[in-house]
Amino acid sequence: MAEIQRRALMQGAALAALSFTIDGAEVWLSPSQAQAQGAPINVLKPDEVETLEAVGDTLLPGARKAGIANFVDNQLGVAPGDCLLMARIASVRPPFVNFYRAALGAIERSCLSLHGKRFAELAPAAQYDFVDRMRQNKIEGWQGPPGPFVYFLLRHDAVDVAFGTVEGIESLGVPYMPHISPEKRW
Amino acid sequence: MATPEKVDVAIVGAGASASVFASVLARAGKKVVMLEQGPDWQNGDLISSEIWGRRLKTVNPAILEGKDRLGYSYNAGWGSGGAATHYFAMFPRLLPSDFNMKSAYGRGLDWPFSYDDLAPYYDRVAQDIGVSGDAKAEERWRPPGQPYPMPPIRSFRHGDVWLKGFEALGIKTARATTAINSQDYKGRPACVYDGWCNAGCPIGALANPSFTYLAEARRHGAEVRPFSTVTRVLTNDKGDRVTGIEYYDREKQRQVQEASIVILAAFVSQNPRILLNSATDKHPQGLANANGLVGRYVMAHTGATIWGMFDEPDIQNYMGVLSAMHWSYDRYGKTARPGVFGSILWHCSPAIKPNDIGGIANSRNDLFGQALVDFIKRGSRQLSRLQAFGEELPNPDNRVVLAGEKDEFGFPLARINHSYDQDAIGVWQQACDEGLQIAKAAGATESWALRAAPPTIHMVGGTAMGRSAADSVANGYGQTHEIPNLWLAGVTLFPTEGAVNPTYTMYAASLRGAEHLAANWNAIAG
Repeated sequence: MAEIQRRALMQGAALAALSFTIDGAEVWLSPSQAQAQGAPINVLKPDEVETLEAVGDTLLPGARKAGIANFVDNQLGVAPGDCLLMARIASVRPPFVNFYRAALGAIERSCLSLHGKRFAELAPAAQYDFVDRMRQNKIEGWQGPPGPFVYFLLRHDAVDVAFGTVEGIESLGVPYMPHISPEKRW
Repeated sequence: MATPEKVDVAIVGAGASASVFASVLARAGKKVVMLEQGPDWQNGDLISSEIWGRRLKTVNPAILEGKDRLGYSYNAGWGSGGAATHYFAMFPRLLPSDFNMKSAYGRGLDWPFSYDDLAPYYDRVAQDIGVSGDAKAEERWRPPGQPYPMPPIRSFRHGDVWLKGFEALGIKTARATTAINSQDYKGRPACVYDGWCNAGCPIGALANPSFTYLAEARRHGAEVRPFSTVTRVLTNDKGDRVTGIEYYDREKQRQVQEASIVILAAFVSQNPRILLNSATDKHPQGLANANGLVGRYVMAHTGATIWGMFDEPDIQNYMGVLSAMHWSYDRYGKTARPGVFGSILWHCSPAIKPNDIGGIANSRNDLFGQALVDFIKRGSRQLSRLQAFGEELPNPDNRVVLAGEKDEFGFPLARINHSYDQDAIGVWQQACDEGLQIAKAAGATESWALRAAPPTIHMVGGTAMGRSAADSVANGYGQTHEIPNLWLAGVTLFPTEGAVNPTYTMYAASLRGAEHLAANWNAIAG
């Protein structure tokens, strides 16, 4: 079978979509579309979303717009066997929300202790410095999962939504070349 | 719910080794049931995405401890095909020196058979599932055998860029051998080099079990029973025969599956865990564990990982396969490095996506912010990877034991302790040094080694096979020394690991064991 024919046969639609419920209707959206359309957050609390988006954008500018909070929240709401988060393959034990709650809580507590402000309220330079110290496990009084591991997983989440989708890979100017893309499944 | 009808063979797991046993025994007319903890994947489930590919990996990690904790969830599989649904299909063989390390060097353990005993099975597996490679070139390092059924897979520029570096250091290379079709084979198409191997290959160009041995098993009547969590192997009152297995079905109802033969093929953590959880008054330390060796000798490979940025507009690093284009056994000698013991295998270059463990972003974990964005953009056409697997010697203290924590059915979880010894660390460090020399000689404009900690790649061991009941859990076919109708299959049997991906050897050893069982069925099954 010729390469082009086979790929055309196997290739489905183009974008990795997730199931969201908006106004009572189930719709299929990419994380960035969900973010743009204000899809509801179901698992994370508002302050956790704010922190996750701010940390995500510090780790990888554009992660907020790409829908890091919607992606993580959506995946925390599914059964562990269906979960697509990096936490799953980094040997975090489910339920994965426990990790995110502990990680985001540790960031907030440390920021309040060090700066008297929440992470999202810090100036960009202070946010960068905080993440850099978290990466190196150099935040005094840190209480939560190890800082470098928090950095590792949240950074992967940011890269996933910004550059792990068809849209993201093609934004780099390289072809995605799927056999089967996700939309038909979700 | 009624107890299922007794079967000839109950296999725990539906991964690669389970599929070989199921195929051989079903073809021999045996009624085979495979109890799989995860789903029964269909080809349409294998979505091309690093993110979606994570569904193929386990969601139920053991408790991990030690200085160098195993990458359990990354390596283990979940669902039919097991880890071989998301594996890279890189197919190096062990070398003769891997089979007699204790006899030859006084290090590690001996296998209960030699390379020559296994060689015909390597050749047959290649024909069975389709292997692409250059046997003649490979025979520079190993004894001669049959040619592979297909020529090597094609190379891309991001692999070829390393050849100048290898040559400068006097390292001979060959095209890598893979279980990936370089041309149409047995009704399965040739690879299209899109680099989605680890998300599961839905066209069957990569020989995952659902296209090969598992498909064959199903054609001959083997049943896969998904979402079945096996908790114990059951024995008779005397404790000298197994009678079946206890498991919980998808509705979480307890079931008993009676069987004449039970084969545990549930990977490094769960094989020992099930044996230990199956303790009775006749087997107070667990089944097949009178010598206390169940769970011991767990091993992983270190990986000296070198990244190079090449000043060319497009080295097509987004194309290819996840395994390798070129490799070299030239540095495989156990004593080739001063002051340390153990083999390495050089190989390059996988197709690279931006995200996930093997992705562009993870090659520079120190970068974040705009620097990370810029790096990903640059790396998307100019980055390539070189790696050396490094051997770890079997250590009885690297082991699986039962934890205090329990699963949802009340059975203790596995706790795995793993730390590298000084030989493994030394081999890894010297390989990092050599890799940087290769990168420099290859002309990489930037190169770096990931030196923060040695990674834990692959997992083997835990129920080592051997010649004697005094120093091993099972014989060379996988039959436990203690209970003749209780068998083990898979990489869990490996007494040593060499420095190669384990799957090809696992397939060959499983085929050897399964055919022995089929040929001696009446004597073993009773």
